[in-house]
Amino acid sequence: MIEVSHISKDFVAPKKYPGLRGAVKGLFSTEKVIKTAVDDISFSIDTGEIVGYIGSNGAGKSTTIKMMTGILVPTKGTCTVAGINPSRNRKENAQNIGVVFGQRTQLWWDLPLSESFTILKEIYNVSDAEYAGQMEFLNRVLELQDFFDRPVRTLSLGQRMRADLGAALLHNPKVLYLDEPTIGLDLVVKDNIRKAIREINEKYRTTVILTTHDIGDIEELCSRIMIIDEGRKIYDGSLADLKDTYGTRRKVSMEVKQPEKAKGLRLHEILGVQETACSMSFSPENSMLCVTFDKHRLQVPQILSAVMAVVEVKDVQIQETELAEIVKEIYNHGVGGKA
Amino acid sequence: MNTVKRYLRLYRVLVTQFLKTIMQSRVDFLIGLLGFFFTQVMGIAFLYLVFQQIPSLQGWTLDQLIFIYGFAQIPRGIDHLFTDNIWLVAYRLVINGDFDRYMLRPMNIFFQVIAEKLQPDALGELLIGTILVVRSLTKGIVIVDGLHIALFFVSIFAGALIYTSIKLFFASLAFWLKVSGPFLQIAYDMANFAKYPTEIYSKGIRFLITWVIPFAFVAYLPASFFMKADTSAGVVGIECGIAFVFWWIAYAVFHRGTQVYESAGN
Amino acid sequence: MRKRLRIYLPFAANELKRQLAYKGAFYLFILVNLFGSFISYYLWMAIYGSSEKAVIGGLTQKEMVVYVFMVYVTASIVTASISTMVSDDVVKGTVAMNLIKPIDYRLSLIAMASGNMAYRFLVPSVFIWIGLEIYKIKVLGLAPVTVMGIFLYLTSCIMSFLIYVLFDFCFGMLAFFTTYIFGMRMAKDALLSFLTGQLIPISFFPAAMQRVFDFLPFSSMVYTPVMIYLGKYTGETLAFMMLRQAAWVVLLYVAGSLIWRQVTKRLIVLGG
Repeated sequence: MIEVSHISKDFVAPKKYPGLRGAVKGLFSTEKVIKTAVDDISFSIDTGEIVGYIGSNGAGKSTTIKMMTGILVPTKGTCTVAGINPSRNRKENAQNIGVVFGQRTQLWWDLPLSESFTILKEIYNVSDAEYAGQMEFLNRVLELQDFFDRPVRTLSLGQRMRADLGAALLHNPKVLYLDEPTIGLDLVVKDNIRKAIREINEKYRTTVILTTHDIGDIEELCSRIMIIDEGRKIYDGSLADLKDTYGTRRKVSMEVKQPEKAKGLRLHEILGVQETACSMSFSPENSMLCVTFDKHRLQVPQILSAVMAVVEVKDVQIQETELAEIVKEIYNHGVGGKA
Repeated sequence: MNTVKRYLRLYRVLVTQFLKTIMQSRVDFLIGLLGFFFTQVMGIAFLYLVFQQIPSLQGWTLDQLIFIYGFAQIPRGIDHLFTDNIWLVAYRLVINGDFDRYMLRPMNIFFQVIAEKLQPDALGELLIGTILVVRSLTKGIVIVDGLHIALFFVSIFAGALIYTSIKLFFASLAFWLKVSGPFLQIAYDMANFAKYPTEIYSKGIRFLITWVIPFAFVAYLPASFFMKADTSAGVVGIECGIAFVFWWIAYAVFHRGTQVYESAGN
Repeated sequence: MRKRLRIYLPFAANELKRQLAYKGAFYLFILVNLFGSFISYYLWMAIYGSSEKAVIGGLTQKEMVVYVFMVYVTASIVTASISTMVSDDVVKGTVAMNLIKPIDYRLSLIAMASGNMAYRFLVPSVFIWIGLEIYKIKVLGLAPVTVMGIFLYLTSCIMSFLIYVLFDFCFGMLAFFTTYIFGMRMAKDALLSFLTGQLIPISFFPAAMQRVFDFLPFSSMVYTPVMIYLGKYTGETLAFMMLRQAAWVVLLYVAGSLIWRQVTKRLIVLGG
């Protein structure tokens, strides 16, 4: 359904200088800075897949999505969605896709939602019969009828998100792009939105690509995830694989009595392993020493005794690593952090 | 044909919606209308005060100047009414990324931009323009015959298209500059030169407003055609030619701009 | 006073910085406004050319040149608008936030406007002023302005600025009654350009209207400093004009306070 090959995007910005003098200097400067937001990314996505596209802020997620939707023209590389090049045949591509940007509505702010849908029906050239059928479906999964006659600006964030999702699906697109669809929503609404996405995917075999910071979205929706960092793809595979590879990590948190001693501790040297197999962090506010380690290489007692040889420990907690931690770890250390 | 129908249908839906929202804020509507009306009334008051001191301005009477002034408002008002959203492209939509939504829909982008808003303030300009033109008719200072009437309407539409093209061109610079509002403002304000006979200006300025940012062809030049029998109808022809050329350039730049659009958030 | 300055000076500095940051706007602002002046200039040249009299409305052709461009210089210093900020605050509901902060809302706005004024003074005005002065001496053959003249003009300008800002504050309060400030501003700008003498010297108005204008603050905003610069006011008239400006500053300050008190009362009641 989607073929992306060696795609890159550069942004050029004028150089900025700090301070009042900087502002004056900026007036006469023509220096430019080139920033590569997406750097040589390739992937292909099949019909009916739900792919989680994750990365830290500014990693290039939105930029990639915007290239696939036809908003941005790639600097290098090509991209086809359902056989269409989005930037060259923008209108044809637009007919095939639905887009929801969590932070920004596509609806008409001052109009009642019903009117927005009337307009979208015309824009996407949806026939009356299709419209009726699709509305019935959308009302069932998104419960739009509760606020269908209210102006968009009066909707709560959760309602607005449902409305936006509905609007993106009115023309029954082949591909649905969701950019942080659950941002800022409470748990119940999040759950509804996820359920709706799943139902749509099952009913129409809609291909879904979603970016998110919410690990719950990924665990509940995505069979496959791609991780992007500084514009490069650093992981592409199933969720299970990711867990297998990184789930071997465990974490021990210890509250210690002498923070000054704990700070200087070089645990991996004491235990004679690489830093990647045993990393630690210390937060002085609550005197917590956190050690993350590879459970195939080290055991909890080893860690404890190594630490207790140096400082006095008041309390100990042991956790299996959660997906959130794994992702955080990958952001921080890259895939090279693999033990 | 089907496509045209679809666009018209959509335009009707959008405009109806828009009118509904205006009706909900009638006071604002009235204020805006009066605001623009007043601005132009002040211009007329200025001329009136000046003519207390002089009998004519380089051979033009007060009545003639008022006709030029009023005639200039009509194409300006038409463009203002229909394409006001272009200003937002220059000032806001490109830099904050709201332009994204036009890119995501399977319709012509320019159409989407202008269809999203009607500017009722423009009725203030259209109102004063019409009043002043009608006044000139009653004073008998304009030529009334079939050719002149027909060309009057042609000229108004060509003039409005020139306005739109100039706006679109400068607004499109936002795709490269992020914000092009100030440039657009300058270009738009050049129109004020053309409210008066261009002979009063130096050669450089006259050239600028006749051929570079051709507002003279929107207002003063055609207006003089409607007042003076010895002026050739060719002036309206040139106006139309300019309108098409400028529209073609502006639209090409706009289209190119959408290709280099960078969205927001980077 | 020192403490006050410490509190409010950052507002001014920040505004100056913000203005400088708009690179494009920075150069263009100069041009946009100068356009109006050049239109006026050519128009007046044509008007004087068509007139049998050498002096119209009390000004010679050469004085009119100085008038047109000094109006530009003066207006760009004086008309640092704050009503947009006021109405934005009202529409967004952040006025209430400003009530909580331990600073005077109006003073902070005036401080911001001063930053804006400083910027406009530095960038277009001072250069155009110097350019005009050179043109005036070399081409028009008029006497250069005296140090005393500059001093009086600038003093008058500062009062004009205060009159304008204080008036604009009251105007911004209209946002409590209508949300469409853009339209109001169009009307205000149109009216002001006329009543302050920017479009045409007050002396062109019929005598009866001039009487009425004497009781309005508008001529004190632009016309008075420009006439002072032109040396049209001397002795008692000069003293009277400047005192009248001072009186308007006080009057508008009081009026603004009263309106603000009413409005905040309403805010508290309505929970704006």
